[in-house]
Amino acid sequence: MATSQANTSEPVLYEAHKKIYPRETSGYFTRLRVISLVTLLGIYYITPLLRWNGHQAILFDLPGRKFYLFGLTLWPQDFIYLAALLILAGLALFFFTAMLGRVWCGYACPQTVWTEAYLWMERKIEGNRGQRMKLDKAPMTAAKFRIKALKQTAWITFSLWTGFTFVAYFTPVEVLAGRLLSLSLGPWETFWVLFYSFATYGNAGYMREQVCKYMCPYARFQSAMFDSDTLIVAYHPERGEPRGSRRRRVEPVSVGLGDCINCNVCVQVCPTGIDIRDGLQYECIACSLCIDACDGIMDKMSYPRGLIRYTTENSALGKTQHLVRPRIMVYAGILLLLCGLLVAHISQRVPLDLDVIRDRNTLYRETNDGLIENVYTLKILNMDSSSHRYKLTAEGIDGLKLVTDHSGIEVEAGTVYQLVVRLQADEFNLEARSVPVRFHLQAEDGNHLKTVEEARFVGPGKS
Amino acid sequence: MDSLTPDEIPLSQQAIAVLWPSFITAIVASGIFFSAFNPRDLLPFNLDADLSPLAVYSIGFLLFWLLAVLSSVGTLYFTISNCRFLGSKQGQ
Repeated sequence: MATSQANTSEPVLYEAHKKIYPRETSGYFTRLRVISLVTLLGIYYITPLLRWNGHQAILFDLPGRKFYLFGLTLWPQDFIYLAALLILAGLALFFFTAMLGRVWCGYACPQTVWTEAYLWMERKIEGNRGQRMKLDKAPMTAAKFRIKALKQTAWITFSLWTGFTFVAYFTPVEVLAGRLLSLSLGPWETFWVLFYSFATYGNAGYMREQVCKYMCPYARFQSAMFDSDTLIVAYHPERGEPRGSRRRRVEPVSVGLGDCINCNVCVQVCPTGIDIRDGLQYECIACSLCIDACDGIMDKMSYPRGLIRYTTENSALGKTQHLVRPRIMVYAGILLLLCGLLVAHISQRVPLDLDVIRDRNTLYRETNDGLIENVYTLKILNMDSSSHRYKLTAEGIDGLKLVTDHSGIEVEAGTVYQLVVRLQADEFNLEARSVPVRFHLQAEDGNHLKTVEEARFVGPGKS
Repeated sequence: MDSLTPDEIPLSQQAIAVLWPSFITAIVASGIFFSAFNPRDLLPFNLDADLSPLAVYSIGFLLFWLLAVLSSVGTLYFTISNCRFLGSKQGQ
């Protein structure tokens, strides 16, 4: 047993984990990143507040079993569209990874976005890297407690707001806010607000880069999409080595050194705590903060920028770069094809559905007139945004008669209309024991609103 | 970093290795299941009247999660116990 190791290893989440205190940076990529993060956070928190044609613009109405996406209303039957959207998102990720490397990880992944938001609060309250490290090492005092309590208050408030917003994608935001203000939030709404808040708090406040390193499947397989022309963040050892400290504005050659002054700022700014100078590592989320950090140092030293920079393997080795290559063509081809299919399919989508259920109790019966009769229950689902009157017909057998008590079929928008119909046919016209028949449903005010559903008509059969 | 032997994997890490993939699986499973079946058609009337749709979906999701957790626990248990068994054979 591992008793000897058990004494030395502390109870840690993953490998002996050292808390990372990312140092603040400034520069072109840092600004680009902040713009991306703020935009994405804005989209998340503002979207539930948007309205569209009298309903919430994006609402996953679970009780009503309808998904509102602006002008489009999706029903459970349309689940295939959501699946297709997910596949598209996956393919887009492949495409952009092959082109731009881990641009998703560094600029757009929710884990990155919320981690940066929580880190921003931490910086505002606890101070810069040095102050934060000192604060954590210091014994607990009233002053430290006050700072920590303030940070926790900010984090928890932001978490709860995040959790509330998440639930507002499923329960209309005005209903949810009303219930919250009158303290009548349902048990499950409360549960999900707290669940999502806690997940955000834990992931963005504490787990941070450990989620990327140990829990993210994409981080493990993204290298499969990489090739020698994929954009990566890289240190240039041929220019930087041998590294070493020196005074300002000293020509590197004069002291027999490369351009890297070994200041370790690139390590200190790294949110995953790696040293980019060790080469491409799977922990690197390509956030490009080390580029800005190093460029700042190069400016101070009056050395040219770009010791750490965006590059490709081919470019770094002085080979020709290829923007267009088979891998890119294949990803782009599949992506465009699926996009086209999805758009075509959605534009062809008929917002009408007909369900036919044969009466299971009696196979058939004979009417007083000597006709064979089958009974069906029809469910008409009007998925359009306005109500319609429909005309129902049936065919498939010579002289087939459709009998129903319903004089007109008027179906409100977004509702299901159920009716019982009887089909009658002369036994003479039945070719077999079971004959296919087709129900045609057609809106009286729209030619494109039509659907056909097949059913079976059962009779005594030819003897 | 030296690689850990199964006995050294911290409990918290094992818990995440079980809870996290099963959480993802539960999302996919509930998505497919509830788009195919309306819980209203499946539940006995008295239960349907007592539970709000949100409650039904939430309980459904948690049940899927529980099922996936059981499966992940099994995988983790067999992996670790097999490693231990093979490790002890190598040690002989």
